[in-house]
Amino acid sequence: MAEQSGNVVLSLEDVHTYYGSIHALKGVSLEVREGEIVTLIGANGAGKSTTLRSINGLNHPREGAIRFQGREITKDPAHAIVKSGIAQSPEGRRLFPRMSVLENLEMGAFQREDRTTFKEDVDRVFELFPRLAERRNQKAGTMSGGEQQMCAIGRALMARPKLLLLDEPSMGLAPIFVEKIFEIVREINAQGTPILLVEQNALMALDAASRGYVLETGRIALEGPAKDLRENEQVRKTYLGEG
Amino acid sequence: MKLPTRMRGSGPDAHPGEDTGGWVPAGVRESWQQLPEPVRRLALPLALVALAFFYPKYAESLPGAFPGVGTLVIMIVYTMMAVGLNIVVGYAGLLDLGYVAFYAAGAYTAAWFASLQFEQVSFHFGSVGISQEAVGIHISVWLILLIAGAFTAIAGILIGLPTLRLRGDYLAIVTLGFGEIIPQFVRNGDNIFGFDLTHGTFGISPIDSPGFGTTLEDAIGVPASFQQSFDRAQWFYWAALALLLVTVFCSVRLRDSRLGRAWIAIREDETAAAAMGIPLMRTKTWAYAIGAFFGGIAGAYYATFKSGAFPSDFFFNFSVFLLCMVILGGMGSVWGVVLGGLVLSYLDQEGLAKLGNSVSEVIGRQIDVPKYNFGVYGLIIVLMMLFRPTGLIPERRRKKELAEGVHDESLYDASA
Repeated sequence: MAEQSGNVVLSLEDVHTYYGSIHALKGVSLEVREGEIVTLIGANGAGKSTTLRSINGLNHPREGAIRFQGREITKDPAHAIVKSGIAQSPEGRRLFPRMSVLENLEMGAFQREDRTTFKEDVDRVFELFPRLAERRNQKAGTMSGGEQQMCAIGRALMARPKLLLLDEPSMGLAPIFVEKIFEIVREINAQGTPILLVEQNALMALDAASRGYVLETGRIALEGPAKDLRENEQVRKTYLGEG
Repeated sequence: MKLPTRMRGSGPDAHPGEDTGGWVPAGVRESWQQLPEPVRRLALPLALVALAFFYPKYAESLPGAFPGVGTLVIMIVYTMMAVGLNIVVGYAGLLDLGYVAFYAAGAYTAAWFASLQFEQVSFHFGSVGISQEAVGIHISVWLILLIAGAFTAIAGILIGLPTLRLRGDYLAIVTLGFGEIIPQFVRNGDNIFGFDLTHGTFGISPIDSPGFGTTLEDAIGVPASFQQSFDRAQWFYWAALALLLVTVFCSVRLRDSRLGRAWIAIREDETAAAAMGIPLMRTKTWAYAIGAFFGGIAGAYYATFKSGAFPSDFFFNFSVFLLCMVILGGMGSVWGVVLGGLVLSYLDQEGLAKLGNSVSEVIGRQIDVPKYNFGVYGLIIVLMMLFRPTGLIPERRRKKELAEGVHDESLYDASA
């Protein structure tokens, strides 16, 4: 595995997570470094979303350790984790459907103590997603899937995250929107936010990411630079639908 | 700001949010629109408050269907409880079927600290209308309202901490349980290792009255003790009205606060709210505590008005009755709940009986309508659900919720 520059922002060490008695993650270890887009790909039920839920405190691991900026956050409650700087755009977007776009963005900034720069950040989100600016007073639930995904990413950015978790941002979107979303994901990353990207669309994800992990039934099956994974025969067969 | 267009006035300037009907002369409408915005916004509430304030002065000249002042006191106290319950159910979306427990806690706080119950001691602090030699604890009723609020809020937190980890139906079942436990406890609390805490099924009576004390009575003529005053109902009414206004004010301010926004976020999507960094437990517990606070004050006030706290008042059906008020008025809508509360409590106290009398007169047979009260409320709720599911005065946001269907599935519990 190629050694990347930059400090480790997030690390998972041998994480085991359960849903009741179901052993969903069977020892996952991974890292996200400063400036990186890291992608986690895998089939349905491989444990991609569970990995994110373990990180953001919605489903605490039973064993293993999660460190964020050198500090252990394994058992921290969800709101404390958001406060320490991990924001996410959850699977299925989960906007507050009866709140307006602006109100949704407001909720994204909920844990921030410094509220003076709120306006500034809204402007930044609207700059990234001009479409949202047009719809700022529209109820989030009435927008198209692509617009909702934009709103969900924008909402996560409102927390001024030091690490952004994206769960299936391309799910259910028209191809043109998928392109658009990935473009913006790259741009957010270029502005300095490391990203952990969970995707089923392995092709797009590996194109955008610098490194990747392949998850199979709760274990990391493969890992390496995105370029190498892209060339890997097994990955091509299973996830890229080639050969 | 763009408001939803709901214009009835035809002119292009007609203010969209305002109900200036076509029957208002154009001149009047124009001069109305030239008034500053706060005046227009506050005109209706202020007019209603003024109308309510002078009610005792003109009540006697009203037709018989209007409630008496004494009935109004009860109506207002019930409405206050409904507004408190609305914080829990309407704002935060936590179905509470045991709200009566908070009413009981408030009533018994008043009964403990303003009656002859604890005859082992004699403690007086600012009480009015009772002899200084009387045994028991006698604290000024105004102060007791606050104590009751605080005590009930703490009870709310204690009940909330274990139960609020549950969601939806499970929460409803557990609150239902607590709503039964507290009256049972009160009923059997007359011999706790030999100590008489609640006086069992007899309840605690009499309870001291609120009042302004003899000094103020001599100085400006306000009654020293409401209970002993000639216009007892009227003074109880004004104080109740003041309490309701404070409750409504707090309720509106809370809704627009950061905490209020967090409640609505939890109601809309609990998992997403957790992902935004909203501490679920703390936020829900606040809803419980604040809802309980107002329920406690209302309960304590009602106890001093009735001059007694009796376990037979705290049955499960009262929780349901309050919930009906919230649903009838419109969950989450403060003004709706006030209206729903007044309507249902009026029916409960006088309306059904009066209706029964008129029906009996018409058909020439005696029908005891109040006996079927819960049937009538049930019918009202069913009809509401069919024809106006968002309530009499719907909350803006909630209206959308029902129109578009609620998605409330959550795969796994968020623990926070």
